[in-house]
Amino acid sequence: MSTTETPSGLMDEYKYGFVTPVEEDTVPKGLNEDVIRHISIKKGEPEWMLEWRLKAYRWWLKKTEPRWAHLTFPPIDYQDIRYYSAPKPKSDKPGEIDPELQEAFKRLGIPLEEHNRLEGVAVDAVFDSVSVATTHKKMLGDLGIVFCSFSEAVREHPELVQKYMGSVVPYTDNFYASLNSAVFTDGSFCYVPKGVRCPIELSTYFRINALQTGQFERTLIVADEGSYVSYLEGCTAPMRDTNQLHAAVVELIALKDAQIKYATVQNWYSGDKEGRGGIYNFVTKRGHCRGERSKISWTQVEAGSAITWKYPSCVLEGDYSTGEFYSVALTNNRMQADTGTKMIHIGNHTKSTIVSKGISAGESCNSYRGLVKILPTAFGCRNHSQCDSMLIGGQCSANTFPVVEAENGSAIIEHEATTSRISEDQLFYIKSRGLNEEDAVSLIVNGFCKEVFKQLPLEFAVEAIKLLEMKLEHSVG
Amino acid sequence: MTNTMEIREEELVAGFDEELLARLNDGPEWLCEARRAAFRRYAAIPLPTARDEEWRRTDPARFPFKDMTPMDRYDAAGALTAGEWNAWFDVVATVEGDRYAIQDVSGVLARKSLRVMTLAEAAEQYPERLSPYLQGQARGVPPGKYEALNEAFWTVGFFIDVPADTQLEKGILIRYINPPDGRIFMPRTIAVVGARSRVSMMEHFASADTARFLSVTAREVYLDESSVMNLTSLQEWGKSVYHLSSDWGFVARAAKLNWVAMHFGGRVSKMLLGCDTAGEGAEAELDGMYIGTQKQHYDQKTLQVHSAPKTYSNLLYKGAVKDKAYSVYQGMIIARPGANGVDAYQKNNNLVLDDGARADSLPGLQIDTDDLKCSHGSTIGNLNEEEVFYLRSRGLNNDEARKILLKGFFEEIVQKIPVEPVREKVRERIEEKMGSGGQ
Repeated sequence: MSTTETPSGLMDEYKYGFVTPVEEDTVPKGLNEDVIRHISIKKGEPEWMLEWRLKAYRWWLKKTEPRWAHLTFPPIDYQDIRYYSAPKPKSDKPGEIDPELQEAFKRLGIPLEEHNRLEGVAVDAVFDSVSVATTHKKMLGDLGIVFCSFSEAVREHPELVQKYMGSVVPYTDNFYASLNSAVFTDGSFCYVPKGVRCPIELSTYFRINALQTGQFERTLIVADEGSYVSYLEGCTAPMRDTNQLHAAVVELIALKDAQIKYATVQNWYSGDKEGRGGIYNFVTKRGHCRGERSKISWTQVEAGSAITWKYPSCVLEGDYSTGEFYSVALTNNRMQADTGTKMIHIGNHTKSTIVSKGISAGESCNSYRGLVKILPTAFGCRNHSQCDSMLIGGQCSANTFPVVEAENGSAIIEHEATTSRISEDQLFYIKSRGLNEEDAVSLIVNGFCKEVFKQLPLEFAVEAIKLLEMKLEHSVG
Repeated sequence: MTNTMEIREEELVAGFDEELLARLNDGPEWLCEARRAAFRRYAAIPLPTARDEEWRRTDPARFPFKDMTPMDRYDAAGALTAGEWNAWFDVVATVEGDRYAIQDVSGVLARKSLRVMTLAEAAEQYPERLSPYLQGQARGVPPGKYEALNEAFWTVGFFIDVPADTQLEKGILIRYINPPDGRIFMPRTIAVVGARSRVSMMEHFASADTARFLSVTAREVYLDESSVMNLTSLQEWGKSVYHLSSDWGFVARAAKLNWVAMHFGGRVSKMLLGCDTAGEGAEAELDGMYIGTQKQHYDQKTLQVHSAPKTYSNLLYKGAVKDKAYSVYQGMIIARPGANGVDAYQKNNNLVLDDGARADSLPGLQIDTDDLKCSHGSTIGNLNEEEVFYLRSRGLNNDEARKILLKGFFEEIVQKIPVEPVREKVRERIEEKMGSGGQ
C-alpha cells in the first residue's frame, strides 16, 4: 500500500503527480521463476502462457543490458523491483470498479462510468499491473471488434493471442522485450475483423501508482484484411524520488489492405530539476505490415520520462505497404531521450516517411536514432526522412544518428536533418507583436511541431500542445 | 621500457610487437621515446572486432595483417620514374617500391622557401620543429587501433614545413607508387603551414593491379593563423590492395582548408577524414568521392569537429557503387560546448547503380551548444530515368546517356581539384570505372 503524498507546491509542474491510496496486492521484490509463476496464477493463465514466460525469462537471464544508446544512468537492480502490483478488489462489491480508482482516473481526465465516459473514445484503463476497466465494450462487440485487457484476451481468445503474440517482437528480440515477455502483467488487446472500420478511437491509459513497481505492459493490435483502427495511448505516474522502470512491448499487425494508426502521448513523471526520480521508459514497439497495401502509422509525443528509449518501427513486408513515423520528443531539465524509428523495406514498392522533431531545453540530451533499410529483393522503394532539432539554452545537446542502408538500385532515399536554436528574428518579430517571450517560444515550438500534431486526433493534438507549453515553462529567458 | 603497464599480446596487431619496435628504433633518442609512447597507446587500445559499432560494416578481420610482413627500410635514390604531373608542382616527393627521392622541380628547396624532407631526416635535423606535430596532435578525437599503430610503426613519410608568409606558386606532390608485394606499407605525412601562408599539396597513391599489399596511411596537416591550404588526395591502388587511412586537418584562427579526397582503387578500404576547426573563424571545405565496382568495399568516415566559436565547415561526399560493390559513408558533425556561432553542413549523395550493389549512409550530428546552425542531407538512389529519357530523346543511346549523367554527378567534386591535368585524369577514371564491365 502506498502512502507517499506529493508535496502540493509542486503540483503545478506536474499535475498528474498524485498518488492514489488504494490497497495493493503485490508480490515481494525480486525476480525468479516463482515470481513469474505467481503472476501467471494471479492472471489465471493457461499452461502455454506460463511456458512462454519461462522461456523468455531463461533467455533474459543470459543477456546483458544494452549500453549503446546515448544515455547515462546508473545500473538498474532488477531484484529491487516489484513485478506485480494490483489494486485489491473490494470484496463486498464484485464486478464493480473501486470508487477510489474511478476517482483517480477522473482526476487524470478519464471518466470510467458509463454515463460520463468520453464520447467517441473507448478506453482500457490500466492501473499498475492490471486493467481496471474497458469502456464501450458492447458497441465494439456488436461489430465483432475485440477490445479488452491482455489478460482477458489470453483467457477468452487464446487462439488469437497464440497466433500473433511474439510474432512481431519475439521474446528473444532484446533485453527489455524479453524481460517484458517474462513478467508482463497487463495491457490491451485489440482485434479488428475483416473489412471492419472501427468507428471510434480505441485507447489505453497507463497509470503507475505503486512505489518501486515496474510496469510491464504488452499491447497487441491485429487489423485483419481491409480493416481500420486508430489507437491512442496515454501515460502518467506519481512524482517520486526514485526511478521506476517501464518496459513495454507493443506489437501491431496489419494484414492485406488494413490500416493501423497508433498514437502515444507520453507524459510519465520526468524527475525534478536536479534529475532525481522519474520513469525509465524502455519500450519496444514494432508494427508489421504483412499484407499488400497495408499501412501502419506511428505518432508519438514524448514529453515525459527521465529516460526515453524507444524506436517504434515498421517492417514493410507486403508489397505497396506504407510505414509512417511522426515524432515530437521534448526534453527539459536533466531528461534524456534516445528515440527514433526503423523502417525495414522487404516488399516491393514499399514507402516510408519519417518526421522527427526534437526539442531540447535545460541540461537535457535529445537524440534521434533511425534506420532505413532496403533489402536487395525490394524493388521501387521510397523513403523520405526529416529530422529537425531545436535547442533552447546553451547547456542542452541534440544528436542525430541516422543509418540508411540501400541494397537495391531502384530505391530512392532522402534524408535531411537540421539543428539550430530558435531564430532570434522570429522571436523578435513575434515579441514586437505584443507577445511575451514565453508565449513567443511556445508559438514557434508549435509551428515547429505542426507536421506531427496534425497527425493526432483533435482532442489529443490540443492536449499535446498544452503539454509542451507546460513542459517548457520557465525554460527561456 | 614498459614497466608501467602490461602488454597483452592478444591485443597487438599481428607482427607489430616490441621486437619490431626495437628494430625500427634507430633514430635520435627523442624519436625512439616518442615511438615507445605511441606503442604504449597502441597496445592499450583493444583490437577492433566486427562487434564494435565502428567496425560493424567492415570486419577488421578482412585486413590480412597475418599474411603480410611490415616494411622496415627505405633507401634514398637519385631519381625515380618521373610522374606525369611533375611539371605542375614545385616539389615532388616520391616513394616507389623500397626507395624514395625528393625532386626540387622549381628550385624552391634550394632557395630555402620551405622544407620538404623525410620524417627520419626531420627527426635528426629539426627535432624542435617536428616533435610538436609528430604524435597526432591534429586529431580531434582519440585514436583508433590502426591510427595508433601508424604512430608507433610508420616507416616512411615526409615532413613539409612551410614558414610564415610563404606563397608557393604550384605546390607539393607526394607520390606513393607500387609498394612492394606482400608487405605492409605504412607512410606518414606531416605538413605544417605557417601563418598567412598559402600552399597546395597533393598526395597520389597508385599501384599495379597485380600487386597485393596492405597500406596503413596517416596524414596530418596543421594550418596556422590565416593560412590557406588546398589539399588533394587521389587513391588509385590496384584491385588487391587493403587500405586503412587516417587523415586529420587542424585549422587555426581564420585559416582555411580546402580538401578533395578521391578513392578509386583498393579491395577493402576504411578511411577516416577528420577536420578540427580549432580557432575562431576557421573554415573547412571538405569534398570527397568514391566509386566502387565489382567487389570493392569502401568505408568512409568523416568528422567535422568544431571546437571554437564562429567556425564553418561544409562537406560534400559523393559515391557510386555498381556490380557487387559496397560503400559505407559515416559522417559526424561534432560541436563542442562553447562553440557558438558554428555553421556546419554535411551532404552525402549516393548512386546505387546495380541491384547487387549496396550503399549505407550514416550522417550524424552531435551538438553540445545551442547557438549554431548545423544540418545534413543524404540521398541514395539511381540515375533519374526522366533525365536518361531526355538525353535519349536527343539521340544518345542508353549507355551514353547514363555515362553523361554520371560524369555530371561527379563533376561538382572534380571542379574543385586545383590542378588541370589531375581533373582530366579523374574524369577519365570515372568514365573508365563506370564503363561496361567495371574497372
